[in-house]
This record gives sequence, structure tokens and C-alpha cells, in this order.
Amino acid sequence: MKQPKLALTVLAVLGALAAQAHADDALPITVSGFGTGALTMTDTNDGLFNRTNQVGGAGKSARTGVDSNLGLQMTAKLSDSLSLTAQGLVRKNGPSDQYAGEMAWAFAKYKASDEISFRVGRIGLPVYMISDVRNVGYANIMMRAPNEVYRQVTADNIDGADVLYQHNFGETTVTGQLAVGRTRFHASGNYDVEFKPAVSAQVVLENGPFTYRLGHAKAKVNVYDNANLSALLAALNKYGLTSVSAQLPLSDIDGTFTSAGFAMDYNNIVLQGEYAKRKTETRAIQDTSSYYLMGGYRMGKFLPYVMYGDVKQDSIRSFASLPTTGPLAGLTAAANGAIQAGLQSTTAIGVRWDFYKSAAFKFQIDHISTRDGTGYFANATPALAGKSVNVYAAGIDFVF
Amino acid sequence: MKTAIAKLMLAAGLGMAAAPLFAAEIVVIVNPKNPATRMFSEQAGQFFLGKSTLFTPVEHTDGPLRNEFYKKVLDKDATQVKAIWSKLVFTGKATAPKEYGSSAEVKKAVAADVSAIGYIEKSQVDDSVKVILTVQ
Repeated sequence: MKQPKLALTVLAVLGALAAQAHADDALPITVSGFGTGALTMTDTNDGLFNRTNQVGGAGKSARTGVDSNLGLQMTAKLSDSLSLTAQGLVRKNGPSDQYAGEMAWAFAKYKASDEISFRVGRIGLPVYMISDVRNVGYANIMMRAPNEVYRQVTADNIDGADVLYQHNFGETTVTGQLAVGRTRFHASGNYDVEFKPAVSAQVVLENGPFTYRLGHAKAKVNVYDNANLSALLAALNKYGLTSVSAQLPLSDIDGTFTSAGFAMDYNNIVLQGEYAKRKTETRAIQDTSSYYLMGGYRMGKFLPYVMYGDVKQDSIRSFASLPTTGPLAGLTAAANGAIQAGLQSTTAIGVRWDFYKSAAFKFQIDHISTRDGTGYFANATPALAGKSVNVYAAGIDFVF
Repeated sequence: MKTAIAKLMLAAGLGMAAAPLFAAEIVVIVNPKNPATRMFSEQAGQFFLGKSTLFTPVEHTDGPLRNEFYKKVLDKDATQVKAIWSKLVFTGKATAPKEYGSSAEVKKAVAADVSAIGYIEKSQVDDSVKVILTVQ
């Protein structure tokens, strides 16, 4: 993956400052880190359970790769208004089923006033309520961000800039954010997706124990190196089915993502929920609606919780104009396969136990039911279609 | 209710030892040059949860004073506050407050920084800092 100049510059300056920090203790550099060590397994070998953008996953034998990661973050405060931040992350993500390091963020932040700041470089793409901390297990109650919602836009960060505005209206804190940039990332299906540009806006209201969020993002989307889709388009065009192939453009696609979220932490009761809708102008990236709702009850250091998540498709799942019998039946099946989003729902129960001052133990069981296909499972066999799978995960989250 | 649960957990052998009692009165302090003269508990709490950046919070390392302050002012325990800060730190929105091992050091840090806000035992207060809230 190419590293843009800006992010590299931030890194170079941070590196130089860190080297200097050894000589001069007064330099205001803070290093903090987070991580999760977890084991994940399921009760089937008919498909692999994974997180967003992973190509492998867990089956009947326990794997560390799904839910484990390690992050390191360094911030250098150059003055009261200027700081540099870089975050490195090691996890299984992208084209190979191996642990690999990535530069999650590298940005310069300029605090123009107590209420307004600007950031330039590689920043988190703020499309979800927990976009920025979804990899920090310790900062979350659940084992992982629910796949039903968080699979819809799978980019973690963009190279660009944003402006943050924060204002207190009495007891209510309002935060507004507008980010512009671009990104290219490897998707689970072994192809690349590019957002160029991506524009994302969100407003967050915090009032005591309540948090409300609204977000809207727009992008020009390009899909690269998708061998299956390219072959499908070539075949459709060969048989003169251009009206069908025209519905499957792979470049310059307009896409939007609209989301709303709510969270509460009140009198030991914890609630968190998000609703999100994806819309694009290609049937190859399906229009979907999704949501999840989590509720928990804090009992001292223990926090048991339940979660339900669901995703449904809003665009068509088959081309009515294509023949289902005769010589082209195979092509029809391929075309219909390309426009079907993974459908599934998850009911999860789990518990978070804060057993140590900066570490938490989590155990979570997900009961995933696939619908009309094999849901979000990787390398799934047809036997998984319409079936339910249990996923068991246990892990320790820590910060330092 | 809470005590009942705590008792249950004790009975279950989960080792939820009762927190040590912290008897001293806690006060919230700022730099004498800070124009603020009085503050409500809710307002003071905002700074220690990273919700306002108007003043810079100065923290104590883990201990009974900090736990008491969190409980009385924020109605939260130390792990909850830790999780809130880890969210802020790892979103790049804020850096965690500096922690000091004693009230004398917290007082010194507040005396040295016009925008700082901290808390110490009432008995530790002197002219180098200004009290803006007595924690009830």
C-alpha cells in the first residue's frame, strides 16, 4: 500500500523527536498502546468467521487471528496548538492471512481555538459511532464491532484532512466533524476498493450519560482487480446483455452512507445502538440497511450484555430479465450472485470483567443465522446457506 | 441494591473486597491566576472525563483519593474512567492527564500552570492554589 507523503512526513518528524526525547526528557512525547489477545472458534467448518477485510477466519479449531491485535500510539506536542500523532497497528487485515503492521493514523493537529481544530494526514474515517476506537478492545464493551453494521463500509482511514468543532451548550457538548480524503483498501473478496474522494460529516451530541450521533458520508468508488466481476461483465457483453452489465459499473460509482447512533451509560445500565444505510449506483455494491442494539448491566467489575444485529438488502437480488433456463442459466446465476449482499443476523451474549486496573477479560458467544446465502462467512460451502453458526470468543483487552 | 450485589459476590467468593474508606474532605483547586471562583461538581467533573478542554486536568495515580473523587463527583469507578480516557486517547482527541503520586505534587503542578485543575485533601490547601469547590 502506498504511503502518501504527508503521513510519511509526520512519521519522520515523530521519529526524529523520539530520538531526541532520549537526550532531553522535557520533550512532551507520550506513547500509549492498546491490544487484545483473543481466541475465536465456531461450531462449523463449512465457512470461516472473520472480521471486516480479513481473508481467513476461524472454524472449529480456535484461532488468534480474528480478534487479536496490538496498537501503539505516539503523540508529540510541539506547542499548545500543534501536535503530531501516529498510530501503528498489528493485526490480520488485508490480502494475506498473516499478522502485519500498518500505519493506522499519522496526522498533524492544529488547535485553532478551544473549539476548533484541524487535522492533516492519515486520519480515521468517521463513518460509524465507534469508528476511531473499534480496534481498541478496552474502550468497548463488546468483543468486536457488530459485523452486520460494520461490514458496510470497510475503510478504516483516509489520507486527507478534517475539521473538528466542539461547543458546550449548557450541559450538552456538541461535536461536529467534516473530513475529506481518499483511501484504497483490500476487501475480503480479494479485490481493491478505492474512495476518491470520500467526504464524511458527523454530529455528536453528548448530554450526561447520553450520546446521540448522526453521520453522512459520500464517496466516488472504484473497484479494482475483481477478476470474477470483470469476467462476468465480459461474458454479459459478449452475449449482448449490455442492459445488465450497465447496472454493474465498477468505476466512478457514487455511493452514500447514512448512519445514526445512540449510547447511554446510566445507573449501571449500558445501551448502544446504530442504524446505517448504504446506497450506491452499482448493483455490484448492494444497497443495504443494517442495525444493532446492545444492552448491558454493570455489576461492579462485571458487565454482562446482550446484542442483536441484522442486515437486509434494499436493492434487487436477481435480474428478472435474465433467463433461468437454457444455455445462459449459468451466466444468470453468476450475475445474480454478484448482486446479492450477505444476509445474516446475530444474537450475542457476553460479559466484560475488569479484573485489573487497565485490563479486561471478555467472553462472547455469537449465534449467527444466515439467510438466502451464506451471510458474511468466508470460503463458505453451500451447506452453510440458511444455517446458524455459534461463534465462541474469549480474550483479554489491555491499554498501557 | 449495590450492597446486596456486592454481598452476593462476596458470598460467591469473587473477592470483591470492600474499598478502603477515605475520610478526608476533598477540594477542587485551580491556579490563583485562574479567573474562575466557584464551580459546580458537574462542571468540575467534565474536565476529568475529557469533555471540556478549557482547563487542563491534573490527576492522581491510582489510590483511595482518586477513587473517592470519581465516586463522588463523576459517579463512576476507576475502570469506567479509564475506559472513557482510552476512547479519547486512541481517537487522537485528547491526551490523558498527567498523573502525580501525591497531593503535594498535584498542588505544585496546579500552582505552576494557569489553566490547570486538580483535587487534593482540604488539609493540604495553601496560598499557592485556589479552592473552587468542596466535594460533598
